[in-house]
Formats: sequence, C-alpha cells, structure tokens
Amino acid sequence: MAGLFTADIENRGLVLDPRTKLIVMITLVVFALGGTGSDIETVRYGTTALSILPLIFLMTAKQYKKAAVFGSLYALIKSAEIFLVPHITGAVLSVIGLCCLIFVRLMPGLIMGAYMLSSTTVSEFIAAMHRMHIPQQITIPLSVMFRFFPTVLEEFAAINTAMKMRDIRIGGKNAGKFIEYRLVPLMVCSVNIGSELSAAALTRGLGTKVKRTNICKIGFHIQDIAVLLLTAALYMLWILGMIGVVK
Amino acid sequence: MTDTAILKNVSFRYANGDTGALDHLDLTIKQGECVLLCGSSGCGKTTVTRLLNGLIPHYYEGTLDGEVSVMGKNICDTPIEDLAGIVGSVFQNPRSQFFCVDTTAEIAFGCENMGLSETEIQNRIDKTVADMRIEKLLNRSIFNLSGGEKQKIACAGVAAMLPELIVLDEPTSNLDLDAINELRDIIRRWKAQGKTIVIAEHRLGWLSGSCDRVIYMENGSISAVFTGEAFFSLPEEKLSSMGLRAVLTAKNYLESKTGLTQIKLFEGNEKITLNGFVYGYGKQEVLHISELAIPKGAVIAVVGHNGAGKSTFTKCLCGLQNRFKGTVNINGKTYRSRDMVRLSYMVMQDVNHQLFAETVLEEVMLGADDPSEQTALNILQKLHISEYKERHPMSLSGGQKQRAAIASALLAGKKLLVFDEPTSGLDHRSMECTAELLRSLDKDITVLIVTHDMELIDRCCTHILHIENGGIESGCIGNGAI
Repeated sequence: MAGLFTADIENRGLVLDPRTKLIVMITLVVFALGGTGSDIETVRYGTTALSILPLIFLMTAKQYKKAAVFGSLYALIKSAEIFLVPHITGAVLSVIGLCCLIFVRLMPGLIMGAYMLSSTTVSEFIAAMHRMHIPQQITIPLSVMFRFFPTVLEEFAAINTAMKMRDIRIGGKNAGKFIEYRLVPLMVCSVNIGSELSAAALTRGLGTKVKRTNICKIGFHIQDIAVLLLTAALYMLWILGMIGVVK
Repeated sequence: MTDTAILKNVSFRYANGDTGALDHLDLTIKQGECVLLCGSSGCGKTTVTRLLNGLIPHYYEGTLDGEVSVMGKNICDTPIEDLAGIVGSVFQNPRSQFFCVDTTAEIAFGCENMGLSETEIQNRIDKTVADMRIEKLLNRSIFNLSGGEKQKIACAGVAAMLPELIVLDEPTSNLDLDAINELRDIIRRWKAQGKTIVIAEHRLGWLSGSCDRVIYMENGSISAVFTGEAFFSLPEEKLSSMGLRAVLTAKNYLESKTGLTQIKLFEGNEKITLNGFVYGYGKQEVLHISELAIPKGAVIAVVGHNGAGKSTFTKCLCGLQNRFKGTVNINGKTYRSRDMVRLSYMVMQDVNHQLFAETVLEEVMLGADDPSEQTALNILQKLHISEYKERHPMSLSGGQKQRAAIASALLAGKKLLVFDEPTSGLDHRSMECTAELLRSLDKDITVLIVTHDMELIDRCCTHILHIENGGIESGCIGNGAI
C-alpha cells in the first residue's frame, strides 16, 4: 500500500521513534541542503556519511527496491560531482554542475522524507506530535488528512479501471475531457466517504473536550540513541571546525 | 426493566430531501432488548438509528419534532461527543468507518477519545479481543483485511467503549455468509452481556433467534410490531408482500438452485470457452482454471467465499489483470487479455466509479464506437431510464445509476457483463427489479454475477459457478454440470 503514513506494521524491521527521524531530517536539511560547515573538510565527509543513513533505514524497513533506486541515483550524482564537474567547462558545466549542485543537496532530505512517510503510522505520528506539545487543533485535522489519502488512492484506482473498460484514455477521442471524467467521480466518491467517515468518527467521540489519550507506545530505544549520537557527532565536528580544532 | 431509549411522537425531515423522513413515530426500547428495524428502502429505519446515536440532529440537518431520549438524556441537549461512550454505532460500509490504519489503534480509537488512562484502554482491548476471539486480527494493517474482518474490528472498537446501547445500520451489506454468521455470534454475545441492540437491516435470516422484537416500518412510521418468534415464522409470501427479503438463508449455494426449469433454453446453444485462466500475485497462485465452457446467453452466479478467487477471475475475464495470459473464445474468435476489455464490462459495486459524463444520454454514448442517438435512446427506453436522459448521472438513485452503467455497456457492444454484488444493500423490490432486468437482457449477452445473495440467484440465475481456492468447486445447471 503506497501512501503517506501507511506503514506496513506487520513487517517493518527497525523501529525508530518519529522524533529521531525528525531530528535526522533536520540535521540533513541543515548540513546537506543548507550546506552548513561545507568549508570544513571533515564536516563535508561527515555530511556525506550521514546522507547514507536514510538509505540504511530504507534497507532495514525491507524497502530494498526504493533503497536501490535512490542509492544508485545518489551515487551517480555524487560521483558526477566529484569526477566529472572538475573536468568540464562552459555551457555543459553550468547545466551539469547546476544539476549536481541541486540534487546532491536535495536528495538526502528527499530520501529521508520518503523513509519517514513510509515507516511511520498515523498513531505514531500523532503520539510524537502530542509529546512535542503540538495542540490537538493541529494534530486531529492532520490525522484525518493522512487517513484520507490511501482511501482516495483506492478510489482513484477503481476509477482508472472503470475508464479502461470504457476505453477512455489519453489520445482517445475523449482526450479533452480526460481530466474532467476522472475528477467528477473522484469528487463524488471522496465526498461520500468523507461524510461517512466524519459521521463514524463523531459517534466514537472524536472532538470531545476531554484530553485525548494515546496508547501508541513511542520512546527512545537503543537504536534511537545510536542514530542520535551519530547526528550529534556531526554537530560536534562542525563546532570543532568552527573553533579551528579540525579542518 | 428500565427503558434505554424513548422516541415520543417524533417527526423528522432531512434538510435537503423528501425521503427517509419520520412521521409521528413512537418507540420505546427496553434495556437488554434486541430490536430489528425492517422495511423497504426509505422507510425511515436508518433515520431511527441516526436519532439513537445522535447523528440526527447533530450531524445530519433537518427539522425534528417530538422528544428523543437515550439513557435518560434528551438527545437534542446532549452533545454528540457525550453520547459516544453510551451509544456505539456500526455502519454499513467498512471502507468508511475506519479512522486508523492498524487494527489495534482502531479498537483503541474510541477509548482514546474518551480520555481513559493507557492501562485502562489496554485492559479493555485485551478483554474485548478475548471476548470476540479476534487475537489473530491484532496489529494488522486495515488494508489487508477482508470485509468480514473489518466489520469485526469495527464491532470491537465499539465494544471496547462499553456502550449500553449498540446501533447497527445494515452491517451485513458487504459480508459473505460466513462473515454474517460470525457477526451473528458477536450480537448474541452482546445480548448475553445485557447490552441493548438495535439493528436496521434488509437481510433478515441471520437474525432469526437473536431478536426479541421486530419493528416493521413503512413511510416513516411503525406499521407492525412482531415478537422475534412470530416474525421469523411468517411465510415468505407474506414477507415479500411487505417488501421484505426472505428470512431463510440456504446454507449451501447449490441447495438454493434445485427445481430450476430453464435448462432446456441452453441446450445446443453456443458456448463461450475460457482457456488458461491461471493467475497469481507474486509466487502465490490465486486462480487456476485451465478450461471452462459457459453457455452463451446464460445468467451465471459466481459464488464462493471471500478470497476464493472470484474477483481475480472476473478481473481476468474483463481484461483488467496485467500479465494475464488466458484467452476467451466466442463464435470461433479468440480474444486475448487486451481484447477482452472491449468484449466485457464490469458493473462495479460502487457504481459511482464508472459514471463520467454530464447527462445520462452523453454517458451512454461515451464509450460507443459509432454512437447514433436513436440507438442510445432505444436502449435507455428498454432499461426504463429514458425519462432521465437529461439528468446528471450522479443525481440518479442507486438502481438508476446501475441501469445507466448497463446501458453504456450495451451500447458499446459488450457481450459479457460482469456484476459485482449488484444487490448489496437493496430491499426486496429493488432486488426484484435488478433480477427482472438481468433476465430480460438479450440472448447474446452473457451475464456473470458475483454475489452472496441467495434470493437474487433464485430469481434470475440460470447457472451457478462455484469457485473455491482458485479452482472450480462445481458448476451446475439445476443438477447438471456446466
């Protein structure tokens, strides 16, 4: 089941606390995307090493295909940056160089994002938000949204099937109305499901004034500590680099 | 005994509709009672359930007169959140009553909302799960469950909140016979625990022996009240004259088909031959039918348990399954998987997925190769929907939408029509209409119906194809094989 926050809880491998994932994500954004400390050599190596971390996470979650695709793509761009870019000039440099520059910075964050979304359940997400003291007014609408995505995808698949049977496709004689034909049933079905879903949620007490409990057990375990230490090490390198201890 | 719910002289009209309204209804439900609400579609039984769980007036808008109280609380003055721990509701569609993506969180959801302590919630989950014997379903992804399993989780989620009153609105619409039997056991257990139960249903047989009182509704008011025993011994003719489905449920699919008289019609008829209907997901083979001949023009019921391979079979037949290698042979012409899309058409359970155009007429002409308006009108006429030709298909009733979908398939020249549960949630009259329609199709149209509805099979099917474990269990015409 592809989709946001629909982790396959029956088969998930290494379980990390959502907050750990968030911290890794922020660290990747700071160092890989933001380029913090890129003038210090050890920090650059450290950033590359941390960029490989999300790939390892994907492997532990048994998403080998995703890991392989992302991994080879990242390796390709990274090696282009190291080996190709110094040897080219002119227009080719500006095109390839720019691509490398953008993607080398973006990809670690993207891969981490893909892992976060595919390895966290809605309940874990809500529990983590709760622990971080984010108010219910924000978490409840968000959780409804995440619940709704896979359903809309299912509806979309059913509509696609129906269109195939009616021979409505891109390039067919009704190509101009292709989008309209797809959206109208999708809207009708989504509205129906949405209203039934809200009714069901109301009868089960969603939105009471009392403070909601969450039985989802999240917390920092040994694997979280290991990952957090790794990220902390990178910050340490950066600080040491800033005061001139390492280069 | 105290009264759990009292409806006093209640009238209700939905804000934007004229059906399903209640008209001066009086009803008292005693504590510990199991009450069945029945009647044809639009009689108001769903409206009664919505009054009991507070969705009316707090969610569905309309004008409400009279007094409704549940457990001594006036429903209008009690916010719906406060009713949540008192009244539990199970709905028709498993797809749209789940809030979480894993089963344990789903069972806990209601309790979490009530703000109970974590240990209390865990205790309640453990107890509910043990009570309902669903240990195997814990910690599973909702998306990997069958309809019956989903409905069990919905029941568990309700039970964990320990409500006094449990309201079920057509809970069996999407279930097969086994799943229905399991639901019946759940209801009996609730009854033994002293819970008050109100069920609005079209399918009746499964409740025989569980109900204390049966309330028959017509046009928004109660027209008859039976004791459970008296109701379930009513003759079938009496029930169908009341617009109700039969109470007897055949245990064996084939038993429902004895005494069939139409066999002769198909003697010497051409056959449609299916070859190499083998298909698997990954390593797991779910369908293995090497050869099957079905009589052209027949109306064939495809039966079998959930997960037996019925839907894979029909998807293959409609050319919707990628990498499917089998073929279909009609009139000496062989169709491969990609040609089958043009040969066959599936009318889906949720027909909303397959209506695209702005008017019914445009809808019908959409898929046809060379549409002439006159032919389209003739087909609409034949299916009794020509008066709606300028309406938007989405504004039609369920049965009319189904007809519009059939009309579009006929005009596109489809020869094989596949129906997925065409009568789920239909009352007796609508079921008869569908059966009549299926019988009246042209002789060169072959119909396959995937269904658990014994009455429908009895009314219109000429053959039965029984699929279990991906193979043919038996195919029969009366007593002969296909």
